[in-house]
Amino acid sequence: MASTPPQIADVPLATESDRPFSTASGFPLPVAAGDEHVAHGLAERLGQPGSPPFTRGIHPSMYRTRPWTIRQLAGFGSATDTNERYRLLLEQGATGINGVFDYPSLRAFGSDDEQAASDVGRGGVAVDVRDDFLDLFADIPLAETSVSLVSSQPIGAVPHLAMFLWAARQRGFRAEQLTGTSQNDFLMETAITIAPKALPPAASFRLECDVVEFTAREMPGWNPISVTGYNYREAGSDAPLELALTLAHGQAVAREMIDRGLDPRTILPRLSFFLCAHNDLFEEVAKFRAARRMWSRWVRDVLGVDDERSQRFRFHVQTSGATNVARFAHVNIARGALQGLAAVLGGTQSLHINGYDEAVSIPTEHAALTALRTQYVLLHESGVAGSADPLGGSYLVEHLTDAMETRVAAMIREIDELGGIVAATESGWVHREISTLAFAHERSISDGERKVVGINVQADGDDAPPELFELPTDTVNRQRERIAATRDRRDAGKVKEALARLGADCGQGRNVMPASLAAVDADVTLGEFGDTFREVLGQWQFPLW
Amino acid sequence: MAVPPVVGPLTGRKAVVAKLGMDAHWRGAIVVANAFRDAGMEVVYVGHAEPAMIARTALDEDAVLVGLSTLSGNHISEVPRVVAALEEAGVHDVAVVVGGTVPPADAAKLKDSGVDEVFPTGSSLDTIMTRIADLVEEYAARREPAEA
Repeated sequence: MASTPPQIADVPLATESDRPFSTASGFPLPVAAGDEHVAHGLAERLGQPGSPPFTRGIHPSMYRTRPWTIRQLAGFGSATDTNERYRLLLEQGATGINGVFDYPSLRAFGSDDEQAASDVGRGGVAVDVRDDFLDLFADIPLAETSVSLVSSQPIGAVPHLAMFLWAARQRGFRAEQLTGTSQNDFLMETAITIAPKALPPAASFRLECDVVEFTAREMPGWNPISVTGYNYREAGSDAPLELALTLAHGQAVAREMIDRGLDPRTILPRLSFFLCAHNDLFEEVAKFRAARRMWSRWVRDVLGVDDERSQRFRFHVQTSGATNVARFAHVNIARGALQGLAAVLGGTQSLHINGYDEAVSIPTEHAALTALRTQYVLLHESGVAGSADPLGGSYLVEHLTDAMETRVAAMIREIDELGGIVAATESGWVHREISTLAFAHERSISDGERKVVGINVQADGDDAPPELFELPTDTVNRQRERIAATRDRRDAGKVKEALARLGADCGQGRNVMPASLAAVDADVTLGEFGDTFREVLGQWQFPLW
Repeated sequence: MAVPPVVGPLTGRKAVVAKLGMDAHWRGAIVVANAFRDAGMEVVYVGHAEPAMIARTALDEDAVLVGLSTLSGNHISEVPRVVAALEEAGVHDVAVVVGGTVPPADAAKLKDSGVDEVFPTGSSLDTIMTRIADLVEEYAARREPAEA
């Protein structure tokens, strides 16, 4: 980062007994924060809501005029099963779709792959052919509903977007009418949720950037990437590492797009981010505020882009699944509300609150609707949505925001010294940093240093476990039949031709999106997309252990 | 309450740790693998592997423990496949444990299918390591008379 982080006074630890009084990520907490804990020049670091450096939020009147999008995650079974859940959530007050795919679909394996069988329709919806996208969005008004495709891994994000676009066009929508997001994050493929084999990081990053380049030209309302911090946090990162990885990655995408000759003022306003809301309320608020300030200044100072829309850090938040506890599952409603509060106090643009039963299974309707209604409690009852950046100026929150910025800036320098985020992933640095913190976190719970209700505090007493969600049981067979029927129906010659073009474009470094759209026109399946990319780009043994 | 010492029976022994199916959440598996290593074990982390490969690794490495991790709910079909593969490969007297997002009713089913212990979300590392040390000792005791 070019800007110098604020110089803040150290908070001395008076005695050993002060040790427990630090934030979840280890920032020492003053007994009572005061003027001496906030560096000079605060007014300049804050600005006004809606103005650079956007510490106080990206809109002048924040939620009064732009309430956050209530975007509850959903996905299980077949496209038809998930479409019902989407429509239920929309009928009940969700204001956007947040659609997650099952494990094989995320990494572009067909449901007919031997190793996929046990995971079809689990943790997300199964999609194999373009018709699945017609069913998934049946009766949903795509011109008015923003759709987040949680296509976390670029190998899946490319064909998912091509199939989504095909399905939308079949229903008469034009590409420029569509609003939404693809997650499309190479670190999801190579560092976070890796299985069973991953593309090499540079190859996955390249596919990710192909999507960004394509939507910049063809889908102006689409966020082509949701630069992710959430899943690193869930895998074990602390708050500063979560933010450092996110910002370093966003910077790499911006640079790559400029190298490809695109105008940063076209690209930057379409980059969106995705962070976690964890337990530590003030630390999380500080993280969101620091994120906005650091991104805005980097765009201005390093890229030299003065356009204010390009400097805004827009983000979605999900509450932390990893903090949920199976025992006394209903207590997770309280965790979701507190974490959701952190997101709103931190100025998020979009929010998902987890279902209380997600430590045991995917959410029942009851759990999903309870989470959705919790968002309405925050919006209408809590009073926190009426004023932008309500914690701005708090000694403690300003202190933590500055401290966060200082630590994150140091981590980004470290990543830059390793050669950037792609090189840091290739070397195993990212995996090592995250897994080391994950183990330390678990140790601190086992040692009793970190206290968790239901695990090492308040762990006794009768529990009434929640009712479990029952997955549809016929998804694998339905998907396999669908793949077989597609193969019977389509023109084999055209498929062969389309796959050859896709492989050639991929191998020769051309943007893969045009060939992907043509492949969907020929009814190529998701598994065939994945096989082509894996064959051409190779496979990588991730340095996890 | 003092934490019981658990290092003894595990030191120098081998554990095979694997993820089931295509579920990709590695946090639990890697955290527990670290705890195995802290207890003196040598860990062979195979990540995602077909049941036959897990069984072959357990055999080749002379492992005393096979640890299977899952979050997605795929345990119901995947765990019995691994148990069968171990059986088929002639891997006997090895402790088989499962950790992850496993509802109580499923845990009972997995134990019926031949798993020694299930550690659901929220199990502490001490609970896990104490139980595993006991299991490994039990199996060692079973092996010895036959070897004598």
